Parts: sequence; structure tokens; C-alpha cells
Amino acid sequence: MLELKNLRFGYPGQNKDWHFEFTLHEGECLALHGPSGSGKSTLLGLIAGFLTPKAGQILWQGEAVNHQPPWQRPVSSVFQEHNLFEHLDVFTNIGLGLHPGLKLDTPDKKAIEHTLERTGLGGFGHRMPGELSGGQRQRVAVIRAILRRQPLLLLDEPMTGLDPHARQELHAMLLEEKANGITMILASHDQDDRKALADSDWSL
Amino acid sequence: MNTSLPRAPFSHPGWQLWPGLLLGGALVLLVALGFGSLLLTAGKLDPASVLNNRYLRGVVQFTVWQALLSVILSLTLALPVARALARHRQFPGRSLLLRLMELSLVLPTIVAVSGIISVYGRQGWLTGLLEQLVPGHSWNLYGLSGILLAHVFFNAPLAARILLQAMESVPQPRLRMASQLGLRGWWLWKAVEWPAVKPVLPGLTALVFTLCFTSFAIIMTLGGGPGTTTLEVAIYQALRFEFDFNQAALLAIIQLLICGSLWWLVFRQGLDTSLLPRRRFSFPVPLPGWPGQVIANSLLIAVFAAFLIFPLLAIGFRGLPALLPTDGAPALYQQLLPATGRSLLIALPAGVGAVLVALLTLAASNRAKHNLLAAIPSLTGYLPLIVPPLVLGTGLFILIRPELGNAAQGWTLVALINGLMAVPFVLQVLRGPMTAMDKNTLKQADQLGILGWYRWRWLYWPHMRRPVALGLAYGIALSLGDFGVIALFGSPGQPTLPVLLYQQLGSYRVAEAAGTGLWLLLLLVLIFASLSGVTRRSHQSLTQSSTTAMPDPEHA
Repeated sequence: MLELKNLRFGYPGQNKDWHFEFTLHEGECLALHGPSGSGKSTLLGLIAGFLTPKAGQILWQGEAVNHQPPWQRPVSSVFQEHNLFEHLDVFTNIGLGLHPGLKLDTPDKKAIEHTLERTGLGGFGHRMPGELSGGQRQRVAVIRAILRRQPLLLLDEPMTGLDPHARQELHAMLLEEKANGITMILASHDQDDRKALADSDWSL
Repeated sequence: MNTSLPRAPFSHPGWQLWPGLLLGGALVLLVALGFGSLLLTAGKLDPASVLNNRYLRGVVQFTVWQALLSVILSLTLALPVARALARHRQFPGRSLLLRLMELSLVLPTIVAVSGIISVYGRQGWLTGLLEQLVPGHSWNLYGLSGILLAHVFFNAPLAARILLQAMESVPQPRLRMASQLGLRGWWLWKAVEWPAVKPVLPGLTALVFTLCFTSFAIIMTLGGGPGTTTLEVAIYQALRFEFDFNQAALLAIIQLLICGSLWWLVFRQGLDTSLLPRRRFSFPVPLPGWPGQVIANSLLIAVFAAFLIFPLLAIGFRGLPALLPTDGAPALYQQLLPATGRSLLIALPAGVGAVLVALLTLAASNRAKHNLLAAIPSLTGYLPLIVPPLVLGTGLFILIRPELGNAAQGWTLVALINGLMAVPFVLQVLRGPMTAMDKNTLKQADQLGILGWYRWRWLYWPHMRRPVALGLAYGIALSLGDFGVIALFGSPGQPTLPVLLYQQLGSYRVAEAAGTGLWLLLLLVLIFASLSGVTRRSHQSLTQSSTTAMPDPEHA
């Protein structure tokens, strides 16, 4: 269970403070929408630990995580773009998610190959991100997020700018994760994405 | 219908094209003349005898060797400093340190050298400390060690600034991804930092190499003798002391060949090095590190800051007593004030000229459609990087053979060459804001008939006011600090400030030299402060009027 208690945040030089307070149960998907600047990315950045709140707490399974650095939180993120390191091949990009020094054992390597194959990217391990389509790149980013096996998945407009076919493939992958009990927050301005994935839909 | 509108002055499209084109053409012609005279003069020499000349070979070898070492040392220092600064984005004094690092672009070489001598010279602060710690040490500033030290002082901050800018331009999501994955050390470098740094590295290396290769004032003051002569100094000696024009021309061509081929290699890769920082706000992303990394980084930044600050402090401390009148006005001012006048006489026209050339060049290259025509204006921006000032000066010197007593003739040339040398830097400042005008605004202006002078006055000038002032300050500062071209054309009896400083250093009048150095430094601060002050005030009134006086079209 994810709990945000009286969480406050303001960018330097801005008078307006954001205030977040909600609870999200395991295996649920919460969708956020609203105009740009309404605080969707800010909220996701706070939960992931990229931004430091002024006050309040973030609890996961009853334990405060807001003092942990980003790399220790039970969180994986997928952004709209710049998810992949452009000069490293697909396999390395995913592998760095399993071990930050790329020290992978055989089961790890097998898991990467297997997931690539399962998502229609079999044999793509040695391709560079620049050779992939937008949908394929996002699938690689989602594969990495999935293989990190963190219980909380934060999706910041991951389907924006993709064609309907690519979106559907991503929907399928994410729904499978949801069925496995992964908790998700999806920031998206597309109603179809929110309908397909989310249990509840908030306007910020 | 449009004919009933009052026509704006200078609204014919030709006004945007031809002034810049003619001016650019004239400058290219000037460079061609200088270059042509070099070729003609050097053509009289027998190439075989030149290649076997041991003195020449020694000069070329030493020039390349010291430049190479300077590049390696500067980048070795700059890279970890840039990494540390990229990682720690909020600590007290950070922005001050960044300003200090940008200072090396405009700090006159000869002033910095006088500061370096005050710290590391025979009676320097640190030398005294070293004497106590290690008695009988063999440290000697004069020679290769001093040259390298001064080159690192100038180029490490410049390189670190450019590298830092490259690292700060990493997209925020990528940085966040690296943070979430917990990348550190080698993999952080490989995945995030190296790809950011890689594109600027060739240009940066070429820039630092060129700056060290063509460095003049540092070699003149810190070089220890014939063993540490570089091409530029050899050219100067050949022209001013040996009157061996053939030799000078040949040396200039060798220098041109080496610098030119280096830049050709770099440009062929098609890169864009922006030397002046774009400031932007980005929220710092926490990144994992090794235990002790914070301490190591803090130490590194502190040492680096001290390395930059000490020479400047030394100028301040040693120069102030020389400038402050204790019993009547110090005799120093009798030399200082006329030298200031002469310096400004050269620097002000050079600065204004550089800004005008840059503006007209930009207008012309925006307007020119024909490829060949468009090349002329952009060429003026790069010429000075490829043809170093002293090479151009040598060519023109040989062509005109100025009567050394004729000050006016010499100074006109000095102002002209200095202005030309400042153009690339001014262009860097002005290009962004000039081309940033969005298409819709321009379409709107076309429809309303805001053309020519009116377009400049009401659309460009409000945005360009600050960049123009900054460009002007850079142009004036660069000419004010010039020591190379003036050494070639000036007469020792009528020194500008840098020449006066050089003379004082040469005759070991250390206190007076510090006074002159401080004076020149204060003059630069005054120029930057007054120009940025003027624009800041008008900028404020502009934003005020735009928020209060703008009528809301919905309710009009």
C-alpha cells in the first residue's frame, strides 16, 4: 500500500505549493490527468525521490521511504522519452536495470532474452536504440522496468506520441504486470490509455 | 492597400544583405591581402634550406610540444572539476566560481601572468612557503613549467566550463533514469557523462591547443630564453629585431598550416562548440556515489578555486598600495593615465566595430539565399580562429611596412585587427538571441509592415539590448587586453596598458606592475558593470511596461 501523508512541495521561486494526500492499494492503477504544469510529473518525481518534499511522508507498506535515495526506493519509472542510453545497445540498457554495474549471471541474461522474445523483440539485444521505432524503444524501457521487479511502477506519459498499434502492445504488457500485483500510477492525457489501464482517474 | 502605410526607413531587403556582405567581403579581402603578402615574401626562400634550419625546427617542435602538454594538463584538471561541479549543483559560492571560470575569456593574459608571478615567482607567496617546507628546492617559474602553469590557469577553467555545460545539458529524464538504476562510477561515466562530453571534446581540444599554440604574452614573459621560443615569439623577433621579413613570413605560414589543418579536421566532423554558457534552471538529481566522494570532490573544488583566486588576490594586494596615494599622487599615474587613454582609443572603436560587424553579418547571413553569398558573412566569424592575429598582423606589416614612428597608422591597424579578432566571440553572444525570434512574430510583423529600422527598433532591440551590451563588453575587453598585435605595431615609447605592464615586469618593477595590473582589471570590471547596469535598468522598465500597459485584446 502506498500512502502519501500531507506531502508538500514547491519549486524555488514559486509561491504556489503543491499538496498531495492519498492512499493507493497494491495491484491498483491510479491515473492522473490535467494540463501541463498541473503537477503530474512533480508528484511522480516526489514518489521516485528525484524531488525533495518540503514536508510530509511517503509510506510503502507502512514504512517511510521519503528519506531513501532514488536508487533504493521500491520504484521503477518510464518517461515519455530519454529512457534509454542512446549509445548502449538494448541488452546493456536492460541489463543496467538488473545490476548497475552490469554484473549479470546466466539466469539474468536468460530473463532478458526471454522477455525480449516474449514482447516481439527477439534478437534485438544488440541493436542500438537509434535503430528502433518509437514503440519499440518504449517497450524496451518497460521491459527494463518490469525486470527490475520493483512493486511500484510510475508511468509518465509513456504512450504519448505512439501509434495505436504500439499503444496496444504496451497496454498488454502493462496489464499483465498489473495482474501480477504491481501497483501503478499513470500520468497521461489520453483517455483511452487511462480507460485501458486505470482503476481510478484523477484530475489534478 | 499596403502602399498607404508609411514606409519604414531602410526597409528594402537589400539593407539587410549588402552592408554585411560588403563589410564581410572587405574583411576577407584584408585577410587575403595579408596572406598574399606572406606567400609572396616566403616564396623567395628556398624550402630545402628552411627544412634543414635547426633553429626553425627547434621552434616548431617546442611550440607543438608545449601546446600538447598544456592541452593534456588542462583537460586532465578540467574533467574531474567539471564532473564534481555537475554533481554538486548547490553549494555556497558555486555561481561565483562559475563566473570566475568564465573570467578567463576576458582576463588579459599579461595581467594574469603578473598575478602568477606574484604567487609562484621568485618572491611569490607559494614559493616562499615551499622554501620553508622544502629548503633547497629547484622550483623555477621561468621556462616550461611557468608556461604550462599559465596555460593551465587560463585553459583549465575554460575547458571545465564548456565540459560542465555539456554535462548539464543531459536530458533530465536520462539523469533520473541513471539515478533510479543506481549507476555510479564507471557506468555513470559510460552511460551518461561520456556521451554528453564526447561531442564537444574534439572542438574543445582544438580550441585549447590553438590558444596554447598561438600564446604570445605568456611565452614572452615566462619563457626562459631561446630554448623556450614559440612560433609567435619567433615571428615577433624576426619582424621587430632582425627585420627578416622572409623568415617571419615563413614562420607565419607554418603556424597557419598547423592551426588551419587542425581546425579543418574539426570542422569536417561538423561540430558546434558553443563557448558561452546558456543558463537554464534544472532541478538537481541525486546520484549515488562512493563513500568519501563528497569529501574528495569538495577538496578538488576548493583547490581549484584557490588556484584561480590566488593570482587575482595577489594582484589586488600588491597593486593596491601602488595605486593609493600616500604622499601626493604616485608617479605611477603619469604613465598610467596616458596608457589608459591610448588603450581606450584602440579598444572602444574595436569593440563597437566588432558588434557592428557581427550584427550586419548575422543579418546578411539570415537574408542571403545564394550559397556563395551566405558563406562570406559566416566566414568572417571563423577567419580569426584559423588565421591568428599575429599571422594576419605579420602579413599586413610586411605589406604596409609601417613607419614605426607613425603612431596613428599603427594604431588604426591594431584597432582593426583587434576588432576582427573579437568578432567570433561577439557572434557567439549575439547569434542565439538574434535567431530566436519566433516565426509567428515575424509573420505578424510582415503583415503590419514593421520592417527595416522599425523591425530592429521594436522587435529586435528590446531582446538584443542585453546581448549587444555583453558583446560590446567582450569586444572592448578583448582589445583592451591585447598584447600581441600591439607589440608588433606599437612603439615602446607610447605604451598601451598591457605593453606598460610588460615593460614593468621586464624591468622587475613588481609593485608598479601589480598596480598597473589592478588598474587594468578595475577598468574591465567597470566596463562590464556599467554596460550590464545600463541594460538591467532598461530591461526592468521594459518588463514593467509590458505587464501594465498591455491592453487585453479580448476586452478592447
